[in-house]
Amino acid sequence: MAQKAHTYPPCDMQCVISSKPLISLWHLISGFHWQYFGATFFAGTAALARTGVNLFLGYFIDQILIKRQYGTKLIEAALIFAALIAGQAFSSFMSGKLAAQTGEGSTRRLRDYLFNHIQRLSFAYHSEAKTGDLLERATSDVDTLRRFFSDQAIGIGRITLIFIINLTAIYRINPRLAGISVVIVPVILVVSLLFFKQLSKSYASYQEQEAVLTTNLQENLSGVRVVKAFARQGYEIDKFEGNNAEKLRRGEKLNMMHALFWPISDLICAAQQITSSFIAALMAIDGVITVGNFIAFAGLLGWLIWPVRNLGRLIVDTSRALVSFKRITNILKVPEENLFIASCQPENGVKGDISFDHVSFEYEKNHPVLQDVNFSCKAGQVVALLGSTGSGKTSLVKLLPRFYEVTSGRILLDGVNLNEYSRDFLRSQIGIVEQEPFLFSASIRDNITYGMKHEVSQAKVEEVARDAAIHDVVESFTNGYDTLVGERGVTLSGGQKQRVAIARALLINPRILILDDSTSSVDMETEVQIRAALENLMKDRTTFIIAHRIQSIMDADLILVFDQGRIIQSGTHAELLSQPGAYQEIYEIQTRIDNALQEEIDNVSLL
Amino acid sequence: MSAYYDENELDDNVPLSGSLLHKLGGVIKPHWRTLLGGVLGIALVAVADAVFTYLHKEILDAAIIAGNKTVLWKLFEYYIALVVIQSIAVFLFVYFIGLQGERIRYDLRKKLFDHLQRLSLSYFSKTPLGWIMSRVTSDTEKMGDLLTWGIVDSTWASVNILFASIFMFIINWRLAILVVLSLPVMLFVAIKFRKRIYYHYRLSRKANSKMTASMNENITGVRVVKALRREEKNLENFKVLSSDMFNSSYRAAFLSALFLPTIQTISAFSLAMVLWQGGIMVENSFITIGGLQAFISYIMMILWPVQDLARVYAEMQNAVASSERVFSLLETIPSITDFPDTVEITSLLGDVDFQNVSFHYEDDEPVIRDLSFHVPQGNTVALVGPTGGGKTTIVNLLCRFYEPSEGVILVNGQDYQDFKLKDIQSRIGVVLQTPHLFSGTILENIRYGRLDATDAQIEEVAKLSGAHEFITSFEHGYQQDVGEGGNLLSVGQKQLISIARALLANPDIFVMDEATSSVDTLTEALIQKGMHQLMEGRTSFIIAHRLSTIKHADQIMVINAGRIEEQGTHETLMRVKGHYYNLYTHQFRQELETRLDPFNSKNNEDSRRN
Ligand SMILES: Nc1ncnc2c1ncn2[C@@H]1O[C@H](COP(=O)(O)OP(=O)(O)OP(=O)(O)O)[C@@H](O)[C@H]1O
Ligand SMILES: Nc1ncnc2c1ncn2[C@@H]1O[C@H](COP(=O)(O)OP(=O)(O)OP(=O)(O)O)[C@@H](O)[C@H]1O
Ligand SMILES: [Mg+2]
Ligand SMILES: [Mg+2]
Repeated sequence: MAQKAHTYPPCDMQCVISSKPLISLWHLISGFHWQYFGATFFAGTAALARTGVNLFLGYFIDQILIKRQYGTKLIEAALIFAALIAGQAFSSFMSGKLAAQTGEGSTRRLRDYLFNHIQRLSFAYHSEAKTGDLLERATSDVDTLRRFFSDQAIGIGRITLIFIINLTAIYRINPRLAGISVVIVPVILVVSLLFFKQLSKSYASYQEQEAVLTTNLQENLSGVRVVKAFARQGYEIDKFEGNNAEKLRRGEKLNMMHALFWPISDLICAAQQITSSFIAALMAIDGVITVGNFIAFAGLLGWLIWPVRNLGRLIVDTSRALVSFKRITNILKVPEENLFIASCQPENGVKGDISFDHVSFEYEKNHPVLQDVNFSCKAGQVVALLGSTGSGKTSLVKLLPRFYEVTSGRILLDGVNLNEYSRDFLRSQIGIVEQEPFLFSASIRDNITYGMKHEVSQAKVEEVARDAAIHDVVESFTNGYDTLVGERGVTLSGGQKQRVAIARALLINPRILILDDSTSSVDMETEVQIRAALENLMKDRTTFIIAHRIQSIMDADLILVFDQGRIIQSGTHAELLSQPGAYQEIYEIQTRIDNALQEEIDNVSLL
Repeated sequence: MSAYYDENELDDNVPLSGSLLHKLGGVIKPHWRTLLGGVLGIALVAVADAVFTYLHKEILDAAIIAGNKTVLWKLFEYYIALVVIQSIAVFLFVYFIGLQGERIRYDLRKKLFDHLQRLSLSYFSKTPLGWIMSRVTSDTEKMGDLLTWGIVDSTWASVNILFASIFMFIINWRLAILVVLSLPVMLFVAIKFRKRIYYHYRLSRKANSKMTASMNENITGVRVVKALRREEKNLENFKVLSSDMFNSSYRAAFLSALFLPTIQTISAFSLAMVLWQGGIMVENSFITIGGLQAFISYIMMILWPVQDLARVYAEMQNAVASSERVFSLLETIPSITDFPDTVEITSLLGDVDFQNVSFHYEDDEPVIRDLSFHVPQGNTVALVGPTGGGKTTIVNLLCRFYEPSEGVILVNGQDYQDFKLKDIQSRIGVVLQTPHLFSGTILENIRYGRLDATDAQIEEVAKLSGAHEFITSFEHGYQQDVGEGGNLLSVGQKQLISIARALLANPDIFVMDEATSSVDTLTEALIQKGMHQLMEGRTSFIIAHRLSTIKHADQIMVINAGRIEEQGTHETLMRVKGHYYNLYTHQFRQELETRLDPFNSKNNEDSRRN
């Protein structure tokens, strides 16, 4: 991708968080304060020019048309008119432009920051958070803020200015008229505030339903295989229909509110306009004000009344923006996982001696997942983890790259407590193949090279692919390494996915390799092939293997048998086989072959 | 990183063809009443708008300048009446059009969703989820807008321009010609502008959807991102996207800010002309002061209909493209559907036969080649073999997620394409290779297998599948939340719940695709004991790599490269000493031998050094 300069004024987002939301918003546009002022200033001059047009119209009628001062004066007046309008046009352009700079610029910075922030939040946060929710905040809430900065933030100032300027102008024409003309203004303001407040409630409930509907759709689509497998289309259709109808219902309610508000507020505003114009007309007939003044007044009056109705909308929109902002700050407030803080960072990488010292761990308070785990291994050894479902094997290996922190006890790596290394360093030393590998919707090559900071040669990619026993398969595809895998790798078979993930982990050349049930969908033959390759690769590196097949782990240097978060047995294959216990039992089940058959086979193999 | 974006969103310049219009008409048809109400309402509003200006003129000329208070009263009565009429019209049009919009969107969403449920798996494995999502969410919005506000706004604008012109001609035809002549210029500039704006706006939408896709993938794959320390690079890539987004949306905002002022400046010229010429006419009493003032108002206000027309015109192209996409999704023919003359069945019990079945996902990449086998009713068949051999594909065919490209699959002697899809799929219980759970509680997830199951029945299948124990150890038991996609459970736990779900369906044919690959041996043995009874009478297909899982099967097939390489019971296969034997015994032995045999290990050492 072409690199472009992404420069914008710096802003420390953490100082954006403050208990006073308006102050926070102000911080959020730091670096754009001048643009913001500029935008408001030009909004003011636009209003001035606009008022000028109306006033000049009055002057034109009184001084030129009624006094019959034609000739050059007429042309002059026409030109002044054009100039005023052009001035107004220029001002609104400048205001719009500066507002866009503020809005677009500050939200772009916010987006980048959020993207980075989210990817640096802890594992614990991510497993609780809903993808859709995070995405919603990083996109549509940010967009609400963008609209706030380029519209409402300036709009409120603009409408206030328009009001003041027009009121002053009317006051200059006739103070009494000015007084009469603002009688209903507070009413309009209150009505529209009340309405928009109500509206924003209905709108929130409408949007909530929209989110429900979107989630419904997303769940349905991502579980489409399950839906089909159980022929649940009817059920899904009913469920969606329910949510869809509810959205319709809320939408109709919202619509009714709109349909009532606009004509009613129209009537209120019109009442004011009619009364004031009528009184002004009487004044004009009685000669209290001139005809020109009346015309000017009629024009100014509109600018006094109608914008106030919008003020209500703007104020409520602002409160909506504040809600969005709060949802964003709720993410910003979550501390990032610190990747770099470290008191120990060996230059040549780690050796790989590991020991667990009374380690306990829990995801939620008082629900221990690992309890008092003790073991140690030397660099280059293979440690195998075996044990019942949900006994904490995956949880244990996730502690090594510090995806999670131990609750008590400590883990030593080369004799140094794990939390003295930085996370970034640890992750550069550890290759982990997850139990359910995640592939990106990209080519196979992109997936394998995902962890590399620099370009990788094709030869290197092929080498690790060979070690992971996936090279031949990839070659057999028409597009080879450029084959696109579908979302989450759906177009690959289970074992193919796992092997791509193994290749990906091997490519970063880790000192410690973790294979979490990584060959569960791979047949024995292929697995042996992979293990032979690994044996070469991992000679002086530490390997953790989680597996359920005894064959996969029997040559490990240390086998740990887990149950309910505890190590119940440990030793080598031979040691464990010779003692009664879970391991023996498992071995029995996995290798037991009817005696007669066994004999027969033994005879055959002797031949 | 993500390889697909809304590629289709690029071809936005779809012309509004006759057939599309016809289809759009079909969408509106059920709602013609609301549309009519809305259009009449808005037309009335537009007429009233033009009349107001005329009334102002009369007030000025006939009442104020003439100094006549009776006329003033009269005119203000008209005025009030007009305000009331217009308010009613506003109510009608906002109400009807809003209603129509909601209903059209509702209809479209419903149609799309229903249709999506009919589409086949092949569609979903090729189409990115995000793409489908935006069809159902944003495209239906845009279509709804086109069919409501698009119509209403253009009605308002044209009626308004029409009536304003009529009144102008009534007041003074010469000045009116001057104004009307400037209209095309304004409209031309406005449309040019709007198109530019829309072009950038579209670019920014596109950038936005790329940005969202990238963010989405970064969040769903965050564990890999962290494990492989991709943060820096991903941020770099994201910044490129967000700066694209910034550039185009700033461009759009800049042009928008320039747009109205430009039109205003153009109108300033015609205003100056009108003032100049009009002033001269006032001098010669060709026009009244009120008349001139009315002209000024008309000119200053004609901006709005012009800009509305331009906007509708520019947005229409995009909405048309949206509609095309929605219709194309609705017209996608499911690759697998019921055939016309299906037979009703009450059970799928019976022998299963594959006869010369061949299959490929992609053309010229055959996955299953000329496969034939026979499974008597009630038998358990195990499929084993190297990964990528086509085992899951066989399951896909059996469940009719895909259909053979050649050959037939028979159940009870009858081609299964003679049955209804629903009849087949509701009678096959399948545990998929990648267990998928829906967000919600454990209970809800299991109940998905049979919606009317009681809690006791659910507990029973959970016990059978070995899940009951761990479920009850959770704080909330069956009400425990599983997290998005089952995130909060271990993989083995997810598999056990999937098995329970399939058991609950009480199927005639049971399929387990590596359903216990992540389940420990002891639990698995436990399940097998219970399942043994359960399998009684049902035909089962089991795919597994662990010997303990498969050796009790009545029939074992070794599938390699889409063909059956070996077939028989565990005993017979062991005896033939073929592939199967190698897989499960020979390798095991060789491993041991290798490590005991010093020569072999020497060889190994040698090969290591190389
Ligand atoms: N949706 C798909 N689109 C295209 N190709 C596919 C799709 N699904 C699978 N394939 C390809 O078909 C072949 C067979 O895949 P299948 O999933 O049937 O293998 P399998 O025997 O189940 O393997 P495993 O034991 O690894 O699960 C593989 O090469 C795979 O890449
Ligand atoms: N992110 C999480 N939040 C809360 N609890 C979790 C989370 N991940 C796992 N658990 C719980 O912790 C326990 C241990 O899970 P873990 O994934 O470590 O098991 P495992 O030994 O790897 O099992 P398996 O063999 O099935 O993969 C389980 O009871 C599981 O429900
Ligand atoms: Mg696990
Ligand atoms: Mg498979």
